[in-house]
Amino acid sequence: MSQTLETTLRGNSIGFWFFKTFLRFGGLYAAYMLLLGVSLHYWLFDKKTVKSSSAYLKRRFPLDSKIKIRLKVYKLIYSQGKQLLDRIAQTSGSIKFDIDFIGRDILNEILTSKKGFILLTAHAGNWQLAMTELNMLEKKIFLVILKENNIAVQKALKINNDNSMFEILSPEGHLGGIVPVVKELNNGNAVSYMGDRPYGFESLKVDFMNDKASFPYGAFAIAAATKVPIVTVLASKTGFKTYRVDFTNIIKPEYKGRKNKKNQLSEWVQEYADILNNFFEEYPYQCFLFHDVWENK
Amino acid sequence: MPEKQTLEEIRERLKEELIENLSLEDIEPKDITNDEIIFDENGLGLDSLDAVEIVVFLQRIWGIEIKDMEQSREILVSIDTMANYILENA
Repeated sequence: MSQTLETTLRGNSIGFWFFKTFLRFGGLYAAYMLLLGVSLHYWLFDKKTVKSSSAYLKRRFPLDSKIKIRLKVYKLIYSQGKQLLDRIAQTSGSIKFDIDFIGRDILNEILTSKKGFILLTAHAGNWQLAMTELNMLEKKIFLVILKENNIAVQKALKINNDNSMFEILSPEGHLGGIVPVVKELNNGNAVSYMGDRPYGFESLKVDFMNDKASFPYGAFAIAAATKVPIVTVLASKTGFKTYRVDFTNIIKPEYKGRKNKKNQLSEWVQEYADILNNFFEEYPYQCFLFHDVWENK
Repeated sequence: MPEKQTLEEIRERLKEELIENLSLEDIEPKDITNDEIIFDENGLGLDSLDAVEIVVFLQRIWGIEIKDMEQSREILVSIDTMANYILENA
């Protein structure tokens, strides 16, 4: 059932104050400069981050030496920091980013059908920045997120705000919190899951970067039972102040018969893992899993 | 929605739906007792994947909408708890 993952909330209030001040008076360049040093600190002393990101990098760059992988860990930490700063800048309204939405027509089609749907995000690119731009959906989005993640996500998405378009559904309740999820989908609302973390459901092993990795199947099981589509959300940083949010990858889980449901779920989970794999091939330094999904448990 | 059913009819239908929707192999309705805890390993041993299906078919067949997790904790326990709720609310 529900699995608890350790969550790293990097930085403290003084650190964020410095970054916000740099952003305010020097803009993104100044904040990125400060980040170079801060990233160095994490690179040198945060063993857990180095270990988990190495697990990804050595599979993404299998021919690289240990030294090269270690250097790429720095690049990855710095890249994540930049996207975190972009998000702070964007939510504070101090800097405007150009966001190119791909697949808006597909999304509109789903919205017109009045059916509920699942938004599947992952620690790939700037998913929180993409979410804040989803006010175009003109409907509430229910985020299925663990309690320990709430603080960071609430801050980023301004969830405590009365006019927030987001509401949190806990996966820690009875039966992985599926009852309110099914209810909101039946009401035609959007429910968002993280596709790379097992919230409330077990995981399945699928092929990911030439190895077996664990991905949760909860979103797919719910989609298949309620007959709603899964819209994957991929937000990539494509330039200094530009992002691309891609909605074109739609998965429509539908059971073919009632036998071997786990096998059928596995096919859709594999489809999603392939989507992420393609994304990380195109944007190798926008993989912010920071979690060894290949680990054998 | 079906015509008003008796408690016994609802119990039987629930057992049939469980077996069919959850692909419970080698189990017949008579093998499931009315007070068996369905999400317990000593009972039917169902999991959250099965719970999704149950929530969906309760709504599809009887129009039962479980409003929150507190309610689900009380209703999704056994054939009896589900059947009683359906009898009173469907």
